Amino acid sequence: MKILEIKNLRKRFGDIEVLKGIDLSLKKGEVLSIIGSSGGGKTTLLRCLNFLEKANSGEIIVAGETVYSANEGEKPVMSPEAQLSFGLVFQQFNLFPQYNVIENLMLAPKLRAKRQKNGESLDDIRARAEKLLATVGLTEKATAYPCQLSGGQQQRVAIARALMLSPDILCFDEPTSSLDPELTGEVLRVIRSLKDSERTMIIVTHEMEFARNVSDRVIFISDGIIEEEGTPEEVFSSPRSEKLRAFLSAGEK
Amino acid sequence: MEQFINITLDLLVGFGETLKIFFVTLAFSLPLGLIIAFGSMSKFKPLAAITRAFVWVIRGTPLMLQLIAVYYGPGLIFGQMLLKATTAVYITFSINYACYFSEIYRGGIESIAKGQYEAGQVLGMTKSETFFKVILLQVVKRILAPMSNEVITLVKDTSLARVVTYYELIYFAQRYIKNAGLLWPLFYTAIYYLVFTALLTFFFGWLEKKLDYFKA
Ligand SMILES: Nc1ncnc2c1ncn2[C@@H]1O[C@H](COP(=O)(O)OP(=O)(O)OP(=O)(O)O)[C@@H](O)[C@H]1O
Ligand SMILES: [Mg+2]
Repeated sequence: MKILEIKNLRKRFGDIEVLKGIDLSLKKGEVLSIIGSSGGGKTTLLRCLNFLEKANSGEIIVAGETVYSANEGEKPVMSPEAQLSFGLVFQQFNLFPQYNVIENLMLAPKLRAKRQKNGESLDDIRARAEKLLATVGLTEKATAYPCQLSGGQQQRVAIARALMLSPDILCFDEPTSSLDPELTGEVLRVIRSLKDSERTMIIVTHEMEFARNVSDRVIFISDGIIEEEGTPEEVFSSPRSEKLRAFLSAGEK
Repeated sequence: MEQFINITLDLLVGFGETLKIFFVTLAFSLPLGLIIAFGSMSKFKPLAAITRAFVWVIRGTPLMLQLIAVYYGPGLIFGQMLLKATTAVYITFSINYACYFSEIYRGGIESIAKGQYEAGQVLGMTKSETFFKVILLQVVKRILAPMSNEVITLVKDTSLARVVTYYELIYFAQRYIKNAGLLWPLFYTAIYYLVFTALLTFFFGWLEKKLDYFKA
């Protein structure tokens, strides 16, 4: 069963086409890593999937249902469930500074419950938040404020916060790039533990070792297109395209 | 001594009138400023242009002139006064201060990282939920210093209301010159302003401390 299908997604900024037709599909529980050199369009792809940018054309299909479709020159059509089908963990964490850790986790679910008729109860939300905090190993930081946490801890909170909305697909945009090297390990460990619990994930990363170990599939994006795609073994050990070979050897130096 | 106490109490009544302007102005201008700020940031260009032009006019002309225009203007145009002095003062002060506040709000709102809005959106929050639950308090924290300046300026600007026959503290004190040949009550009013601005300074200091628990 395909959880996600992306068809011919295109995105322009002014006259510059940044995504030039991306086709992609993901099975439930699959972990996809996206690698590629700077400016290739990796972030833009994740932002289009999370509707922070509106793709100019193409379709996004989640569990068989078209949640977003756009045609050049027309107003895109987006279903109400579209937003919560995806979650995004930002490079810069973007925690809410005035709320402590547990409040950061609970805010959006609380507001959602208030909007619905038979919304989730506050106790249930809190119970879920506590469980997720345990998952990311931050139970004892529940009442700490973001400014009191290390970058690695903040990013783990951000992951738990995204999981609170139970997205079908969780996206990460270079989750460890703004962390000191000694803090990347704890975040990568948390992401790996999510793989074991059958989460579908898309991870943009420059951590090649991690991409190799954690992903079921890797795509290499260059210049707005998927230049190469395969298992980690195929992509890292026997790259076919010249561009990917150049990219990989540049990383080794 | 008895005269001193009597005058002190009389001036206190005058200061009560001053405080009415102060609190009524804040009650209306603080929220109105937010609406004007949204207008000036609107994506609908004509609305933004009109709002900004309005703010420019209000901030670019003396408050005293605005008071005179609002109070006496209708009389000059329609041959008939429309507003009581009190009403004219409340309206003029509220609009004037709303415009100053709107610029402070706008600066504060625009200084918040867009990642905060994006985090809200990605978590399925609506735009207004994100604004009121996430952005607003961060804005408040950031604009506290310029707001306290503006609020303290308001305390002293209230004395302008006199020009449209609103009897506030300075007016009360000036009567003693004419009626009793006493000059000191006029200078004595400074104490009232000083004490009140000291209270406000404490209040803003306290608020700043309250919001110290987070960094934004
Ligand atoms: N809002 C925008 N307006 C105009 N151009 C943009 C915008 N966002 C991205 N771009 C351009 O789109 C291209 C792709 O950017 P993107 O951030 O998706 O690359 P990336 O693959 O994530 O790179 P990096 O590895 O450096 O993060 C770049 O040339 C960038 O300048
Ligand atoms: Mg990027």
